[in-house]
Amino acid sequence: MDCIILAIESSCDETSASVLHNGKILSNVVASQEVHHQYGGVVPELASRAHQQNIVPVVSESLKNANINKKQLNAVAFTRGPGLLGALLVGTSFAKSFALALNIPLIEVNHMEAHVLAHFIDEPKPTFPFLCLTVSGGHTQIVLVKSALDMEVIGETQDDAVGEAFDKTAKLMGLPYPGGPLVDKYAKEGNPLAYTFPATEMPGLNYSFSGIKTAFMYFLRDQLKANPRFVEENTDDICASIQHTLVKMLLQKVKKAVSETGIRQVAIAGGVSANSGLRQALAEEAKKRNWEVFIPRFEYCTDNAAMIAMAAYFKYEAGRFTHQMVSPLARMPIGV
Amino acid sequence: MIWENVRQEELATVAREVLAKAKGHTVWLLEGEMGAGKTTFIKALCQELKVKDAVSSPSYALVNQYLSEDGEEIYHFDFYRIKDAWEAQEIGTEEYLASGNLCLIEWSERIAPLLPTDVLTVYITISSDTTRTIRVDFP
Repeated sequence: MDCIILAIESSCDETSASVLHNGKILSNVVASQEVHHQYGGVVPELASRAHQQNIVPVVSESLKNANINKKQLNAVAFTRGPGLLGALLVGTSFAKSFALALNIPLIEVNHMEAHVLAHFIDEPKPTFPFLCLTVSGGHTQIVLVKSALDMEVIGETQDDAVGEAFDKTAKLMGLPYPGGPLVDKYAKEGNPLAYTFPATEMPGLNYSFSGIKTAFMYFLRDQLKANPRFVEENTDDICASIQHTLVKMLLQKVKKAVSETGIRQVAIAGGVSANSGLRQALAEEAKKRNWEVFIPRFEYCTDNAAMIAMAAYFKYEAGRFTHQMVSPLARMPIGV
Repeated sequence: MIWENVRQEELATVAREVLAKAKGHTVWLLEGEMGAGKTTFIKALCQELKVKDAVSSPSYALVNQYLSEDGEEIYHFDFYRIKDAWEAQEIGTEEYLASGNLCLIEWSERIAPLLPTDVLTVYITISSDTTRTIRVDFP
């Protein structure tokens, strides 16, 4: 039987809607100036009210791009959490009303699980079980993916997310926010071994990135004392070195996770998977250690509704629906 | 009150003393430059409040919610990436602040117009690479 799902994502900054047909993504619309322009007005940068303004145009655009009439939908899915409560409320309320009006089932999705399941949108797809390193401005975790509906976080950051470590070291260098992509850009021209920073050792598979931020701050302070133009003169080398250290920290625990679980399929997800240093280092490790590596297309790495639709499709097939009394959850651990 | 040259392992003691003196004050501002240890001090406070959730920096999420042992919600804010108070208002900051639950706020200067007058402020300054000076102004 045909299965057409409309999915909505509104957990943080992005308002997004996607239509999926039998496991294939037909459309994935993320609120942007361009979409909003057609309906007049501008997109406020960060607000639940922005989600309220965006949600109807984004859903309409998504149905239109998929060439699907809302009467054809078999289910409506939404991000229940984790995220910003005010933002999640918009998507949740919209999805509930939509499902109620169309008298179709409602599916709740965990945003972090959806990042992992984004790997099933395009070929090549991993097979279960696999490991997924989810890295973004808000998260850093290693997930053991036993099946689409059974995941376990086996390691995660105890303080800052790695994306934040990139952004904050960039800020200390005077680069604009978010500086992560700029660090990546300058790093390409620099020497990754020019400077060394003390990587924080954490027990098990957990991470800590706040120590390296502080160490980096002391490093800059001392260097600037000797040479006030230190950052300007050495931007490329500093960026390459800090990126090298952060990527090394990420991969060290992935290697450990592989050896502990014996699983050789390694996936990465989240916005930081766009980082070229991480991609390159992962590809090198994979070659050396005979891993199979999976990296989704960039549009499915950052927050988007296509991954919500994909996660919802697995739940639809398993008959896992939710009810009209559901409310969003700011805290929502994986696998609960 | 002021604690000078606090080492990381002494943070728990400072957190306990501040919490004991701060009874009833729910809006706390954490002031200090990047790397001073605002999030680290919040971790120590949450440990004293027997929070089981991982306490992490909400720079991206803007607000993290934790559950204390007594079932009280604690809100941990970081307004580092917002541009002005209007944006903070849009995410319901005033509702959080008026909730009566403990609100621990980093980079609060961007939301100054939304803050109540009876705030407790924790100033953290770097005294050496391994120590910090912590000053607390009670309302």
